[in-house]
Amino acid sequence: MSTEECILAAGVDVGSSAVKFALVRDGGNGDASVLALHNERIRRRDLRKVIREGYEASLEAAGVRQKDISYTASTGEGELVDFRRGHFYGMTTHARGAVFLLPGIGAVIDIGALHARAMRVDEHSRVMAYRMTSQCASGSGQFLENVARYLGIMLEDVGPLSCEAKNPESVSSICAVLAETDVINMVSRGISRCDILKGIHLSMAGRYTKLLRSIDACGDVAITGGLAADIGLCRALEEKIAEEKLAMRVRTHPRSIYAGAIGAALWGAYRHRVLARRTEVVA
Amino acid sequence: MSVVEVLLGIDLGSTTTKAIALDRSGRIIGRGITNTRSNYEVASQIVRDEALVQSRFELVRHAMAADPELAGIEKKFIGSLVRNFRQRQHLEQLEWLESELRRCADAPRYAPNREAVREALSHICQAMRARVSGHFSELAVRKSDFFRDLAAVDYVQAAEQFSDAKHASFDVLCGLFDAAILVVENAAGDWAFERHAGPALEQTLAAAPADIREREARLRAAVESVGSLELRVLGIIGTGYGRQRLPFPKEQIRSEILCHGLGAHAMFAGTRTVLDIGGQDTKAIQVDGAGIVTSFQMNDRCAAGCGRYLGYIADEMNLGLHELGKLAQESTCSVKINSTCTVFAGAELRDRLSLGQKVPDILAGLHRAIMLRAMSLLARSGGISDEFTFTGGVARNPAAVSALQGLVQQNYGVRKLNISPESIYTGALGAALFAQRAAEGGNAA
Repeated sequence: MSTEECILAAGVDVGSSAVKFALVRDGGNGDASVLALHNERIRRRDLRKVIREGYEASLEAAGVRQKDISYTASTGEGELVDFRRGHFYGMTTHARGAVFLLPGIGAVIDIGALHARAMRVDEHSRVMAYRMTSQCASGSGQFLENVARYLGIMLEDVGPLSCEAKNPESVSSICAVLAETDVINMVSRGISRCDILKGIHLSMAGRYTKLLRSIDACGDVAITGGLAADIGLCRALEEKIAEEKLAMRVRTHPRSIYAGAIGAALWGAYRHRVLARRTEVVA
Repeated sequence: MSVVEVLLGIDLGSTTTKAIALDRSGRIIGRGITNTRSNYEVASQIVRDEALVQSRFELVRHAMAADPELAGIEKKFIGSLVRNFRQRQHLEQLEWLESELRRCADAPRYAPNREAVREALSHICQAMRARVSGHFSELAVRKSDFFRDLAAVDYVQAAEQFSDAKHASFDVLCGLFDAAILVVENAAGDWAFERHAGPALEQTLAAAPADIREREARLRAAVESVGSLELRVLGIIGTGYGRQRLPFPKEQIRSEILCHGLGAHAMFAGTRTVLDIGGQDTKAIQVDGAGIVTSFQMNDRCAAGCGRYLGYIADEMNLGLHELGKLAQESTCSVKINSTCTVFAGAELRDRLSLGQKVPDILAGLHRAIMLRAMSLLARSGGISDEFTFTGGVARNPAAVSALQGLVQQNYGVRKLNISPESIYTGALGAALFAQRAAEGGNAA
């Protein structure tokens, strides 16, 4: 096989609340394109089944068969992707995916259901410095999801509602689970859903700017991970950055939530070529 | 019309809201419990009504026990009457939920797939109705007694069956449930005794064995005489986490620490140390011989170590809180949980499960983790003196209790541990006793 031949690679990003899939056609010279993306929320279903079905749905969407895929890579909590060939650490895949989607960025903040991590990256998507949130779920995506469920709001409405806030209510409790009870209290005090959500977004954004500062991030910062789709959170982060006068600019991409899966597929394609080259040399 | 005077205590906790009804002599005649929801007024209204309805059932029991022809069958008869009564309430709420689901499905966003969504909802609701009688049969083991929990489990199972990825996805159907259940449970219902007791009585009689049906006329008389009684609420006191927001005047509110101390003292007069693990806080309280609080420590900063910790785990595993402890007791080799944070413990649980570790072993580790936190709180409040009373929802959990017993033995030696099967009502009982004191003191509240 020639190393410049086009190959297909798949990335499966297993998060704690959703599994993301990406199918990529990689030309080997830095020219790659995304064929299909798929997001499957777990909602307490059997994870193996969710992974299998999501994978098949993304193959179907791209109109390809599993045997056409040269390399399937997992990332995140990928132990259950039993059909994978390799696994890549979440930090490297998010960096790779983010640089692919938004060339020119200097940092990535990956905001998932449980953790947020900030990475400073170079133009080859190498991670130069990173910082993660500690072992406490305060301000995590899972917390926001729980709150949305409690408020009876579909997850995709959280962002738009937050943007309509007039008097954001500051969230006093620190613990994610008890802050949930705080929210019950706020509702019973008659505070609007918009103001509650915005308050939570702002407190989360405050944590992220702290992370970003700690790795000396500057320039364009890409948001990836499940919460990249939350316009309210992105706005809140912009506001915090402006308020703290940081030399950063928030950038998002419609495909940002797939950055990990895309990155995994791209790294998978790369590794496939390296392995193929080695076999050729041996032959 | 004859009158029965009652005193009420309401404990508005973060997870559940409880009520206790006392008669004038201080005897408990009714209890009510429901899940707390954002509308505190509705939550307290529901438990108040339920405690009064239960009081009526209790009065029916008294009437039957006093009647030589009915004495002896009252337990079985009332058990079945109450089940039929609850089933009717449940069906009524289900009907309401269904209409709310349909209303939510009319939102513009579902327009392209409206027919598919509606059809899925019809199938789901039908499947839910079919399961109701099973929940209320004599031998049924319910995961929870709350409508919300029962409905959620049935709904999700049916939704998995009737969803289709293209037109009515599982996700959309779950979203509809989340929206509809909020409306249903935050609007005040009317669980009046009169409306359901009659039909429930007919249902019970129709299914009753011949020896009970023979006494039909007397049974009817007993139920009807109680139905026509007036239950006059002489006093009502509120307490608990949400007490500041109860629709009561200030003089009818007491702190939960005071209520727990007094409630525990009323249940076990020898109590000197009380551990209460509630939904969102854990309290270690020292009381004197009269049930008056002398010192206390409280954790309300972090959910690790509170009942909500176990609640969160139960949710993660799609289990009812009732089942969690029993499962943990099957453990042969408890694991050590590394995470402190509740949310991370939930993730750790999933990781461990996917690595093939046994559910009981992981759960045992989680139960030990919550008790370790309680022990440090107790130490700060002044240690554990004899007798030691454990209250709150977590005291109903056998695995939590045995973890606590082990730790107490290790750290303090032999202590008499009191746990009442009614321990979840400790705060409400204390509040009701304060209401009784206030009523005895005449107008002085």
